[in-house]
Amino acid sequence: MTSAITAPRFDPWRTHAVRVARKTPEVPGVFTCDLAIQEATVASTYRFAPGQFNMLYIPGLGEIAISICDDPQSRGSVAHTIRIAGNVTHALSELAVGSTLGLRGPFGVGWPIDEYRGRDLVLVAGGIGLAPLRPLICHLLAHRQEFGEIHLIMGAREPSGLLYSAEYSAWQDGGLNVYPTVDRGDDSWPGHIGMVTAILDRLPLCRPAETVMMSCGPETMMWYAAQIAIDRGVRPESVYVSLERNMNCAIGLCGHCQFGPQFLCKDGPIFSYNRVASIMKVADL
Amino acid sequence: MSNVGRKQPVSIVTVYKGNTAMTMDQPNLLKMLCATRFAEGLSHEHLACLCRAGRLVRLSPNQLLFREGDTEDEVFVISSGHVRLAMNIPGRGDVPFLTAGPGDLVGWSGLISDGRMTATATTVDETTLIALSGKRLQELCNCEKDLGYVLLRRVAQVLSQRLLSTRLQMLDLFEKEQTQKVS
Amino acid sequence: MLAEGLDTLIRALAEDGFQVVGPTIDQQAIVYGEIKATSDLPRGWTDLQEAGTYRLQRREDEAYFGYVVGSHSWKKYLFPPVTLVASADLGENGWRMQTPEPDPVKYAFLGVRACELAAIRIQDQVFLGGPFVDPTYEARRSRAFIVAVNCTQAAPTCFCTSMNTGPRCDSDFDLALTETSSGFLIEIGTDAGQVIAALLPVRPANSTEIDQAEIARQRAADQITRRLDTDGLRDLLMNNLRHPHWEEIAQRCLSCTNCTMVCPTCFCSSVSEVPDLTGEHVDRERHWDSCFNLDFSNMNGSPTRNSISSRYRQWMTHKLATWHDQFGSSGCVGCGRCITWCPVGIDLTREVVALRDTTGNDLSRLSDSNAESAEANR
Ligand SMILES: Cc1cc2nc3c(=O)[nH]c(=O)nc-3n(C[C@H](O)[C@H](O)[C@H](O)COP(=O)(O)OP(=O)(O)OC[C@H]3O[C@@H](n4cnc5c(N)ncnc54)[C@H](O)[C@@H]3O)c2cc1C
Ligand code: SF4
Ligand code: SF4
Repeated sequence: MTSAITAPRFDPWRTHAVRVARKTPEVPGVFTCDLAIQEATVASTYRFAPGQFNMLYIPGLGEIAISICDDPQSRGSVAHTIRIAGNVTHALSELAVGSTLGLRGPFGVGWPIDEYRGRDLVLVAGGIGLAPLRPLICHLLAHRQEFGEIHLIMGAREPSGLLYSAEYSAWQDGGLNVYPTVDRGDDSWPGHIGMVTAILDRLPLCRPAETVMMSCGPETMMWYAAQIAIDRGVRPESVYVSLERNMNCAIGLCGHCQFGPQFLCKDGPIFSYNRVASIMKVADL
Repeated sequence: MSNVGRKQPVSIVTVYKGNTAMTMDQPNLLKMLCATRFAEGLSHEHLACLCRAGRLVRLSPNQLLFREGDTEDEVFVISSGHVRLAMNIPGRGDVPFLTAGPGDLVGWSGLISDGRMTATATTVDETTLIALSGKRLQELCNCEKDLGYVLLRRVAQVLSQRLLSTRLQMLDLFEKEQTQKVS
Repeated sequence: MLAEGLDTLIRALAEDGFQVVGPTIDQQAIVYGEIKATSDLPRGWTDLQEAGTYRLQRREDEAYFGYVVGSHSWKKYLFPPVTLVASADLGENGWRMQTPEPDPVKYAFLGVRACELAAIRIQDQVFLGGPFVDPTYEARRSRAFIVAVNCTQAAPTCFCTSMNTGPRCDSDFDLALTETSSGFLIEIGTDAGQVIAALLPVRPANSTEIDQAEIARQRAADQITRRLDTDGLRDLLMNNLRHPHWEEIAQRCLSCTNCTMVCPTCFCSSVSEVPDLTGEHVDRERHWDSCFNLDFSNMNGSPTRNSISSRYRQWMTHKLATWHDQFGSSGCVGCGRCITWCPVGIDLTREVVALRDTTGNDLSRLSDSNAESAEANR
């Protein structure tokens, strides 16, 4: 009565029933789950931006944040690539096609791609960090002529850990320079061995000040990738990292995902390096 | 570089033994050296000096550049192409641990120690290298302290990058992707 | 209004459909609970507070509101300790998820202090001011009727004057009372307040009564001794994230979460799954959580904030520093609850002094890189 509060708005706790439309094994311990939203009106209006995530919910077990890895233009279902980490992810891996579960989303801010038309792009992914970059890759392939050079460097522990490897040649043909690399190779792997940083170090950058880097992977990897990019002349404000913290509500009300002044869920998970650099190396923040 | 679509296994087909070098006039060699990342921060005069101790080496894929345990005089700056470094572990064979590419320095033992190679280097693709005589470089550095300082500083920078990459590899960041970023 | 008018107020609010909640004595403390009549109020009692100490004591007079603040705050009504946020039912077509209609409960808060009005304003910003609005909070907040009561005394733990939140109630109430020896002076804050006031046995106050009330309020202001120097506080904390003093505090802090539970602005929560016996109906219950809990920051199987020092640092830097970035104000209203209810008497105002006093010497070197951060994070 004392405050000017408006009529109830959209309920952020509203959870959509979704059905497992398809399950695809990816690399060991990782699978992709295409989820079809049951309610037709919701399904037809559901849109997301590359880099956003959903909260996937198994009643009785819990709700977890999973990035959307689908083509933003695709309709009918929404794909999520999931690494089996613990209870909920394990239960998700056991769900049969046709099972129902819950979905809230999309949440978070995506990759700021529209700000960078005409620029050169370097995408750096580590392990499952390629998943949230995949919608961006789809977007770039569909709008290839709007950008300059596009490099995609992705690292994995070993060749069998390279996510979406069947798609690399299509990405290459679509005008992306694709550089997979692994930490541990063997004689059957003819490709590159070493960290993504080693490739980044010698990547031909024709106009570093006009180049944008977007990365997702282990924090340590992103940190050093950012150092190298900046060292090579990329502007710190044009370097983006996607961070992870514990996440519970995804709507900025539960306090879990705070990282200094930031709420990862509503201010992120994607941040310009500038904004988080000073606290990324403060231990246990 | 892109290894997309490359499926053929690596097998060593030719052995390079220091004598398949191409001859090339100094100005061209200098131009190639200047174009590498290694040349960053080195003056034109210094680079010209280095080239006097150098020659050009062109190799086809899967050629052996040097072998772990051997003693070599030459240090290589990769101009184009890639070289895979491996160490031999009895029972496991040659275990590759790093792919070096344009601008990278390989075989640096020849410059800072006795030239005993700590890895086996094999080309991955068509590779052009600038080979510099370690002995001549050491002599040069000894009489031109200025050049010596600048060169060794550059080598230290290159090696520190290499060390960082190796450390990250060793940290096994993707192992379970533990304690780190997944999203 | 004479003291007897209070009963009329309680009755009028109840008849208007409000559940009246206010101060009452329970388990040797003044807490907030349901108030049916003035006899439920802690008449003639006061509280003695210090760091780590709380005790009730008889007053020499029969004042109704002669205490400061207790362990409870109004957040327990607006942001309840346990809330049903959603539920799921398994049917023939699989799981269906629902969100509950907000409980239509209408609360009238009796006895809201100035610092508590400020705390409500802060939680309004958290739950209503961002891109997402919490439906439970919104429903409860929009219906609440607020009867503020000006403080006429202060505890040694109070520091509202440092936070510019009191002791005077100047806005955001429907009615505000000041208790004096001769009765209550009433100020009307809203139209809704006007409507209720019209039902009360009131008459215009004379100048003596107005002066009396002013003197009573001034007494509270004069009694406040504790200070928190907020000048440059945000940057002080953010520039000292690696200060060794966090470790020193961790030697004392038990990580018990008390400070966060009693704080009227703390809003951290977690959702738990509560299935029924069949497993076919699941309630999703949100309960208060705390950044002092180890599993609060769990990620990939281990907590990000594994040490007490990192958890205390999170709490204090959130309250006093990053809250400004997030919500445009400090997260502390200076009520002193966290000081009183800390079992080991940790006092944030003193910890800030300690951080201030040891900054600027060679320790600041450790945090140089964070100075830019303070800028970049604005
Ligand atoms: C923005 C964001 C995007 C993500 N995208 C992906 C993705 O695309 N693919 C993927 O495989 N993983 C992703 N993750 C990580 C994923 O959320 C965790 O792996 C998952 O929560 C683990 O749940 P669990 O029940 O299987 O693990 P357990 O260890 O058994 O349970 C841990 C519990 O802690 C809670 N928790 C909250 N946040 C986290 C967290 N960040 N990590 C671990 N536990 C957490 C959950 O309630 C979870 O059930 C993302 C995380 C975030 C924050
Ligand atoms: S931090 Fe302490 S003094 Fe400040 S509002 Fe919270 S409980 Fe009150
Ligand atoms: S500061 Fe005090 S009340 Fe807060 S967690 Fe530590 S011991 Fe508990």
